[in-house]
Amino acid sequence: MRSFIVRVFLAGVAALVVSAGTGHAQPAQATGCQTCHSGETASHLSAPARDFAAADVHRDRGFTCVDCHGGDPSATDKAAAKAPATKFRGKPTGTQIVEVCARCHSDAALMRKYAPRQRVDQATEYASSVHGQQLAKGDHNVATCVSCHGAHGVRLVSDAQSPVYPLNVANTCTTCHADENRMKGYMRNGAPLATDQKVKYDGSVHHQAMVERNDLSAPTCNDCHGNHGAAPPGVGAVTNVCGTCHTVFATKFALSTHSAIFDRGCVECHNNHDIAQPTDAMLGTDEKAMCATCHSEGDNGHKAATSMRTGIDQLKAAIAHSEEQIAAVENAGIEMGDQTMALREAGNHLTLARTEMHAFEPVAVTKILEEGIGLTTQVDVAAKAANAELSFRKTGLAISLAAILLVVVALQLKIRTLPGVES
Amino acid sequence: MTQQLFAWLDERLDLSALRHFVAEKSVPVHRHKVWYYMGGVTLFLVGVQVATGILLLLYYRPSAGEAYESVKFIVTQVEFGWLIRNLHSWSANLLVFMAFVHLFSTLFLRSYRKPRELTWVSGVLLLFIMMGFGFSGYLLPWNELAFFATKVGTGIAGAVPFVGDFMVRFLRGGDEVTGATLTRFYGLHVAILPAMTTVVLGMHLLFIQRQGMSVPPSVEKREKAGEKIPQMPFFPHYVLHDVMWWYVALAVLAALALFSPWELGTKADAFAPVPAGIRPEWYFLAMFQVLKLLPAHIMGIEGEVLGVLGFGLCAVVLLLLPFLDRGAAEGRSSKLVTWGGIVALAYMFVFTIYGYLAA
Repeated sequence: MRSFIVRVFLAGVAALVVSAGTGHAQPAQATGCQTCHSGETASHLSAPARDFAAADVHRDRGFTCVDCHGGDPSATDKAAAKAPATKFRGKPTGTQIVEVCARCHSDAALMRKYAPRQRVDQATEYASSVHGQQLAKGDHNVATCVSCHGAHGVRLVSDAQSPVYPLNVANTCTTCHADENRMKGYMRNGAPLATDQKVKYDGSVHHQAMVERNDLSAPTCNDCHGNHGAAPPGVGAVTNVCGTCHTVFATKFALSTHSAIFDRGCVECHNNHDIAQPTDAMLGTDEKAMCATCHSEGDNGHKAATSMRTGIDQLKAAIAHSEEQIAAVENAGIEMGDQTMALREAGNHLTLARTEMHAFEPVAVTKILEEGIGLTTQVDVAAKAANAELSFRKTGLAISLAAILLVVVALQLKIRTLPGVES
Repeated sequence: MTQQLFAWLDERLDLSALRHFVAEKSVPVHRHKVWYYMGGVTLFLVGVQVATGILLLLYYRPSAGEAYESVKFIVTQVEFGWLIRNLHSWSANLLVFMAFVHLFSTLFLRSYRKPRELTWVSGVLLLFIMMGFGFSGYLLPWNELAFFATKVGTGIAGAVPFVGDFMVRFLRGGDEVTGATLTRFYGLHVAILPAMTTVVLGMHLLFIQRQGMSVPPSVEKREKAGEKIPQMPFFPHYVLHDVMWWYVALAVLAALALFSPWELGTKADAFAPVPAGIRPEWYFLAMFQVLKLLPAHIMGIEGEVLGVLGFGLCAVVLLLLPFLDRGAAEGRSSKLVTWGGIVALAYMFVFTIYGYLAA
């Protein structure tokens, strides 16, 4: 009882300090809620106070427990602190969570004071998401704001320790989406919702870019599915989603005959979560090629794929051959700077052809490839001339060597004629 | 014409002393006389290095950002730059090789014995200077192989007790091999070492001219027994022989440049992974290989430290050999010196090849 009085006294002092402050500009001081909850032995009661006190973007901006939970931190009695008159709402659940967060985050005027550039449509977006729609149906198993951002100890998205920092997003989403038990019962296109997205994404070129090269602009879950409005891209939307970054490919693909046929757009050839590094082997008609999945010998697609793949292979081989030639003569001391530049340009043509290929128009691809081959031919001619120069140098040295040896012989003969001593 | 020019000069400068020296100077003739020419060949190669080095200086730029490009410019744009650089690189190697040949021939013929101790000491010092030239010049093209080899080479200096860390920083101009190291090595290569060479080589040649050619102990015994050892005039006999050997060296240089042009390599990149096959120049390879093979600790002392101390001791013994082998002055050929020389030669031969194969 004595300790309770002491705690309530401290709470009162804390509340006075807070109310005497200058509004929400400074980090919030300890409130009566924290004073009591910090001393609780049950972790579900003490953890919120501990996390909120440790590092929380809301606390840093002067918000306190009552801003979300209601109640009266200045009350000296637990019952009084949580009395109905204090608008105490306890732990918000389900739709209440979205409502509590949206009270501020959907208020443009309020948000302007703290984060003027931050959007205020998260709640609207959330309502359009699969999560929001399921929640509206009464499914409390789905993610709400706190599932991804946390409730206490909320950090800025730019904070590397935030669960929604780009490097952490995949792990945050798959906390639920890789959990077979949690996903049980959810369906997509008539089939159980997959739980292997994380495994697939971990093997993808996007994950490689983000984790191994630390490229935070590389896509993670929310870049394709949206974050607050998370939903799978629908039929016809995939190309737009991929085209957000791969603009040129998407433009070329939009011009192709395939754009009207491929239901899943880019995903038809590149997959979705497990996107591998594209290779030239994907194009063509052999077993590894994607084209062979639909096209067979004799049809126009088969001919187009064969033609484009053959042309790309020829340019690749021509570039490799020219590079070899240049390296050999450069190392021997012949300047090949212009040719190196020309080969770089031929490489650009190879990239252009690989891009143009997405329009599936062999004539345009062939034109680019022929220009590339033309460049390598010029390089080869220059390399041949450089080899001729090297031969000239060698001939000159050989003649010099012969002349030197002749002098040696002449000197030896002269020495033999000297009187007085044997040579 | 030549006689007229000489007469013109003689009239003004009184060259009688020189004339007398040339007319009187003679060189002993015996079956080992071929080794006399090895010193001449080494001197000729020093001349080649000086001449080609000066030409390279006209275009070379000693900074990390420009060194590689300037060497590339020399071999690709400068008229006959490729030939000059080729000759400089090959001649450098041939010079060290000939210096070793000269050293071992002098050792086996006991030419270092009294009164030629100082000639030997100056010769050994010249060998060390030539190796310094090789080590510093190796980095100057600033290519990948040279960069990492220098990193390893300068790192070995760190094993020297007490002053190792200082030596590494002194050599590198910092903790790592950088542009500061390049500038430092350049200064060493084109100013400090040439100055030292001028002095020591001048002394070496002066000693030889003052004392004349040494004859092997076996020939000396015959001479002491009353046999007259044939002599040949220095001019023109010896000079023509010498010139002929210079031409042989030039022919070897031309053949090397013809059949194995010196490569440019790829530009050094401090952030690139260490390429495979990093090794120093061949004349350091035997030492490098031993240091690599030594266990981490020998009797509680770091293996590398012990190795560096061992090589240091060998260098001191080599330098002071005339003072250690006192019997040589009395005509006694020490078996220890003979076998020491043979073992040293065999070691260099075997470990150099091993180093190449291991790399």
